[in-house]
Amino acid sequence: MKTVYNLIIKDLIRLKNDKPALLLSFIVPMALIIIFGNIFGGGGPRGRVAMILVNESNSPVAKLIESKLDTVKSLYVIKTFLSDDRKDTFKIDEQKAIELIKSGKSSAAALIMPKDFFTDTSTALKFKFYFDPKNDIESALIQGTIQQTIMSHAPRLFPVLITRQSLKFIGQDSTAKFISGFGKLIGEFFNVPIDSVIKSMTIVDSASLYSTSLNTASSANVISNLVKFENEQLVGKEVQNPGLTRTVGGWAIMFLLFSLTGAATSLFEEKQEGTLKRLLCMPVSRAHILWSKYIYSMLFGIFQLLVLFFFSWIIFNVEMFSNFLNLLIMITVSAAAAVSFGMLITSFAKSMNQAAGISTLFILTMSAVGGSWFPTSLLPDWMQTISKVTLTYWSVDGFLQVLWRQAPFSAIALNVLVLLTISLLINLYALVRFNNNKTL
Amino acid sequence: MLKINYVDKHFEKVTALQNINLSIEKGEFFGLLGPNGAGKTTLMNLIVGYLTPDSGSISFQGELVASDNLNVRKKIGFVPQDISLFQEITAYQNLKIFGKLYELDNKDLSKKIDEVLELVRLNERKHDIVKEFSGGMKRRLNLAASLLHDPPILLCDEPTVGVDPQSRNAIFDMLYNLNQNGKTIVYTTHYMEEAERLCSRLAIIDNGNIIAKGTLVDLINLMEQKETIRIQKTAATQSKIESLNLIGTVNEYDFYYELIPNDSFNQHSKIFKMLEENGIPNQFIQIGRANLEDVFLNLTGRSLRD
Ligand SMILES: Nc1ncnc2c1ncn2[C@@H]1O[C@H](COP(=O)(O)OP(=O)(O)OP(=O)(O)O)[C@@H](O)[C@H]1O
Ligand SMILES: [Mg+2]
Repeated sequence: MKTVYNLIIKDLIRLKNDKPALLLSFIVPMALIIIFGNIFGGGGPRGRVAMILVNESNSPVAKLIESKLDTVKSLYVIKTFLSDDRKDTFKIDEQKAIELIKSGKSSAAALIMPKDFFTDTSTALKFKFYFDPKNDIESALIQGTIQQTIMSHAPRLFPVLITRQSLKFIGQDSTAKFISGFGKLIGEFFNVPIDSVIKSMTIVDSASLYSTSLNTASSANVISNLVKFENEQLVGKEVQNPGLTRTVGGWAIMFLLFSLTGAATSLFEEKQEGTLKRLLCMPVSRAHILWSKYIYSMLFGIFQLLVLFFFSWIIFNVEMFSNFLNLLIMITVSAAAAVSFGMLITSFAKSMNQAAGISTLFILTMSAVGGSWFPTSLLPDWMQTISKVTLTYWSVDGFLQVLWRQAPFSAIALNVLVLLTISLLINLYALVRFNNNKTL
Repeated sequence: MLKINYVDKHFEKVTALQNINLSIEKGEFFGLLGPNGAGKTTLMNLIVGYLTPDSGSISFQGELVASDNLNVRKKIGFVPQDISLFQEITAYQNLKIFGKLYELDNKDLSKKIDEVLELVRLNERKHDIVKEFSGGMKRRLNLAASLLHDPPILLCDEPTVGVDPQSRNAIFDMLYNLNQNGKTIVYTTHYMEEAERLCSRLAIIDNGNIIAKGTLVDLINLMEQKETIRIQKTAATQSKIESLNLIGTVNEYDFYYELIPNDSFNQHSKIFKMLEENGIPNQFIQIGRANLEDVFLNLTGRSLRD
């Protein structure tokens, strides 16, 4: 027993000195739990999904829904846009909303309440919903939120709509009978004056709409009859394999980071083998070694991504050739950024193991926060801010533009610039470290 | 050919080399003899430009050695003390990579590779993965890799550690032949036997200082006592050793006693007689000239292998 105990202590001591194992066993899962928890779980500050809202209707019902949507915690409602010179703000109209979604810059969805949203003769609330399904979760979230808001805040509306539908389909007389019968039933059942029930079923008065006292246990089927969404997908309609096209960029950059960090940190292996020293005793300089690693990793990364996209094209119909030049640009700058990340890790770490640990931690975190696994719009605001400093974010966004939106170069110019700047800065820093701390 | 002038080298807390001055001429087989941690490897690393001296300078064929002077390195062959080979690829592939970096063209290189593999007798194994080689085979390949570009000078940092006697002799012969053909060789070791066998001139290095240098004869002449009397340590001799104090001073080592006789015992016959009278049989007595081990002991008060 004593021996077993001592052997266990030995393992614990070894674990204590094995930082990568500790990182992988505890820190990485904790980081991931925090991130996933924020998205899918309750608790913690929740991310808000941006949605454009255009209210062109004068109806008080529309006003009510607008004001309620404003207060929904999970939505960030956008109604105005800044002029190009950033001086004036304008109200967004339907046309502008479509434009914004197509550009993909402000939101993935727009809810329009048109002029005929709810008129005296409406038998249903008419919404128009424009969206860019670059991610399914986001659209579903918005539609769900809208329905929930309407259901819980305007219950009084439904009896009116039901009445109007019945007027339309079964005629005046039968409707009057239906109302009085229904009113009587409700009145007796809930023990309220029959008159007031009947009144509430025939007159829309905006004040009473605010009352939420009525039971809202209406079935989804009834609701979907009463709330009419006119959905229109604005982006990616022609894309053959929407699911994979949206996500392939995210996976690509994650694998790229792993493989290129591996390539860069192989310097440690060479150091351990002694071959690094041997090379440096030959007509080879430290600069030669760094450059060769850099170029080799770049080429490897570019090749890896081309194979990956080619594979997705063959097997899953992910279109890679219709916007090939821009795809190639994105691949190249992503590889450059990933290599510099690997170089940075290499310049910091003291051993191969440490490098592997640190890089796994950073890559998984960047992938989660930067949008490799799910859209960043699902993250809390503060995490979305962090997300923008990860190279993953700019890379994933760029691939999305190129593959999903089939965007021209102008749409990825910023991504390219940011990624190149990141690579340049990181490389300079890594170089300074290489010179100072004799990693080589 | 190789000039080392007033070189100092420190690592954080350790002074690895202090005020080193050496001049090695073309065609010499120069030995650096010193115990573990003496600074031999550090000196090699400085000569090849892998490390930079804190002060002083090193020049080879009139050209200053510096970490950015790649031209000098083309002319130096270096056999690192630690095996420095790509383990996951074949011997041939290793040599190909190294040869290419010395800018040898393909045709010359293939010929050269066969030649050096022949020298270290690894020709049959050239397409095997290095990882699967035995320790001694790796060491021989490690040496071969430094000969590809036919450098005028070859630095060998303890190239025979872990090599069996047969292969070691082959290496000695090989180095001897290379030297006979005009290659200058600098050879570090902590085996005085190797230094004595191979080197035409040598320096003894200890604690970062060169404490003596010259030919083997020069060094032995540093000793007052040019010969040693050794008595093998055995069960029989051990109990009798006290009585030897009558003859002279006795120093005890792992496997023998060393006897330094008094002035009155200036003839071998007297010594033998005295020893025999004290019960130490002739068979356990060995008289020899002083060796480098003795020189080192004499200069430092310590044994080389402490
Ligand atoms: N990179 C280094 N960092 C710190 N100290 C070092 C370094 N390299 C060598 N030293 C120190 O310098 C001294 C000389 O070491 P060196 O390797 O030159 O000895 P050596 O004569 O080659 O010994 P050995 O026979 O064991 O190979 C030692 O005290 C060693 O600890
Ligand atoms: Mg050494």
